[in-house]
Amino acid sequence: MTPLPALDPFTVFGVARSLDLDDRTLERRYLALSRECHPDLLRTQATADCLAVLQRSAEINDAWKVLRDPWQRARALLETASPGVLARNEKLDAAFLADALELAEEVAFAHDDAIARLRTRLATVLDADFAAVRAHVERGEFDAAAKRFHGAHYHRKALADLDKKA
Amino acid sequence: MNERPAATAAPRLVVGIDLGTTNSLAAVRAGKAARVLRDQDGEALIPSVVCFHPDGRTLVGRAAKALRLTFPDRTVFSVKRLVGRSAREVSAGGNRLPYRVVAGERDLPRVRIGDRDLTPEAISALILQQVKATAEQALGQVVREAVVTVPAWFDDAQRQATKDAAALAGLDCLRILNEPTAAALAYGIDGTKDGTALVYDLGGGTFDVSILRIEDGVFRVLSTAGDTALGGDDFDELLAQRILRTLPATEDPFVLQAVRAAAEGLKIRLSDAESAELTLDLGPRGTTTFAVTRGQFEAAIAPMVQRTLDCVQLAVKDAGLRLEQIDDVVLVGGSTRVPLVRARLQALCGKTPHTGVDPDLAVALGAAIQADVLAGNDRSLLLLDVIPLSLGLETLGGAMQKLILRNSTIPTSATEEFSTGVDGQTAVDLAIYQGERELAKDCRLLGHFQLRGLPALPAGLPRIAVTFLVDADGVLRVTAREQRTGVQASIRIVPSYGLTRDEVRRMMQDSIENAAADWHAREAIDVRNKAEAMVRGTRAALQLAELPPDQSFVVHKSVKALARLLADGAPTEALKAACDELSKATATIADEVISSAVTKALREEQGR
Repeated sequence: MTPLPALDPFTVFGVARSLDLDDRTLERRYLALSRECHPDLLRTQATADCLAVLQRSAEINDAWKVLRDPWQRARALLETASPGVLARNEKLDAAFLADALELAEEVAFAHDDAIARLRTRLATVLDADFAAVRAHVERGEFDAAAKRFHGAHYHRKALADLDKKA
Repeated sequence: MNERPAATAAPRLVVGIDLGTTNSLAAVRAGKAARVLRDQDGEALIPSVVCFHPDGRTLVGRAAKALRLTFPDRTVFSVKRLVGRSAREVSAGGNRLPYRVVAGERDLPRVRIGDRDLTPEAISALILQQVKATAEQALGQVVREAVVTVPAWFDDAQRQATKDAAALAGLDCLRILNEPTAAALAYGIDGTKDGTALVYDLGGGTFDVSILRIEDGVFRVLSTAGDTALGGDDFDELLAQRILRTLPATEDPFVLQAVRAAAEGLKIRLSDAESAELTLDLGPRGTTTFAVTRGQFEAAIAPMVQRTLDCVQLAVKDAGLRLEQIDDVVLVGGSTRVPLVRARLQALCGKTPHTGVDPDLAVALGAAIQADVLAGNDRSLLLLDVIPLSLGLETLGGAMQKLILRNSTIPTSATEEFSTGVDGQTAVDLAIYQGERELAKDCRLLGHFQLRGLPALPAGLPRIAVTFLVDADGVLRVTAREQRTGVQASIRIVPSYGLTRDEVRRMMQDSIENAAADWHAREAIDVRNKAEAMVRGTRAALQLAELPPDQSFVVHKSVKALARLLADGAPTEALKAACDELSKATATIADEVISSAVTKALREEQGR
């Protein structure tokens, strides 16, 4: 996984720390911030500011990369709400891992129609994962949210593997 | 927001330059309209050809191109293919050039003319000087600043080399701009129409495809893909090879050049005609006739065209889109005149490509628009481009650890923490790579970054935060800070490609002096990692495999010994010995049960 940007992306964008951000609003915000801070439009300023302008612009781009993806957004939210929470909850229980392994095998051997069926199933599973993470976050149960986040990683990976086959 | 600043002085003049493989040209924007700059004869395209005449003159452009049959070994074309590359890469390219390319210092390519060796940057600079002179004549004023375009697929080294060439030509390069992005600007200039565009740019030597979203005057590149060594020149080369087969085998530069010129002519004729033939009169070297149909030509180039379509599909996928979601398809580059290219692209995208702007001029026109923005004359437009290739570091075992992923919007940054591997170590060497492959050796080594002036602390204690910042040119900048002391570590950069400078030579010397220390540091980390993996793997395997008690005892004992050494932070040599001991213990079992169990456990360990 790529490292998270040094600054929390919600702060960079000046938006609420929430998983329920409207995509279109975020995108508008990104374009507006880019217009404000992009080095191309700030060239007339003193050259001493150049590196600062570059860094600010990079922060905005990097924050956007995180915020536009729901799972990355969830990761950033968990890390800002409770630093280290993801690392603390990496251990998943054996029953879950056994299921994940079975799923991985199913993906590996899926053919033709089975691929489409599996994809639909995985999409549903991931929706449930995300809803669960969201519910935990709302109740302030960050450890539980982090566990579910890690679990979802296996489902996302299975989906990615499935896409690679197609 | 769309207002222009009050015009108190004459607007700052920045030209846009398309520095092409085959042709180069400049354009400028006044008001909303961009126009190309032409010479006294009304020509905009300046052939990217330099001839070093035996009488000592240096000719550039059409005058040089006219001499390529007279002085084939002194007339340099397609030099863009050499920029930012190594001599080995160039010779591996397989394109036969009538002029000599030799390996210079650090395996950098040099063009040998008589007894002079020239860098590709110096030759590019000569072309840029000619473009600059033409622009100055057309404008009636001095040109000092420019935006220079490069293929989107150019890596850090190739971009840096292009900037160096501009500097050598006396131009302040305000921006290195991606060619397809520039072309999109030329098409979308009215800015009124929002949508998603696919730019297909097949030039003389390179192929690029970019997907852009245009919205409220913001041109956002969503993805880019391409091939730096695929273009119309390759179509010529295929025809040239066929013509050469009708002649006795030869390495004569005159013949090679004449055949190449004839091949290009044939290709152009085949864009309109169903078949073409030529008689090649090589004077005392003989005569040949050659005929080819469009069908034969198309069959020959079909695999190359397919390669471009594969890139198109990759770019669309990377943009998170489907082909049906593309609103406009834009053609750029002279090679898009080849009917097969248009037909195949149209079939793939299900849309008639736009051809409203001359494909030879679109890139320069777009560069002029971006130049106008950078000059501060137009604040209504904004370009958000991406880095075409991932940037990363070589890690243990030679893997490529990607820090900045391809298609990240630039500027972008990533911070990674490093430490030292031996006590009192004050320098760390990092190898920076660019590319998509899993192993660092399969990616391009951009250079070494040497962190200096670290506080002398026990191994592992310094925490050095290294920040990789990719600027709006797509060029990497690195800064480092030791976290505990706040000491700003100094960084020296040893580029693998590009211009040789005196300081680069000095840095090379330094890196040799420090090579031993760095090597030990790396080995220590390697061994420790291997030992840790062995302990985890063997422990996992022991739970899976059923062993006879005596063997089980030996293995358990060895694992325990190794684990203790690890916990005590034992020196590298001791760790190595214990690793060997454990390997022996597991090897004597010589049982597929445990070896397969170990493999499986290790794989799981790594897969996490």
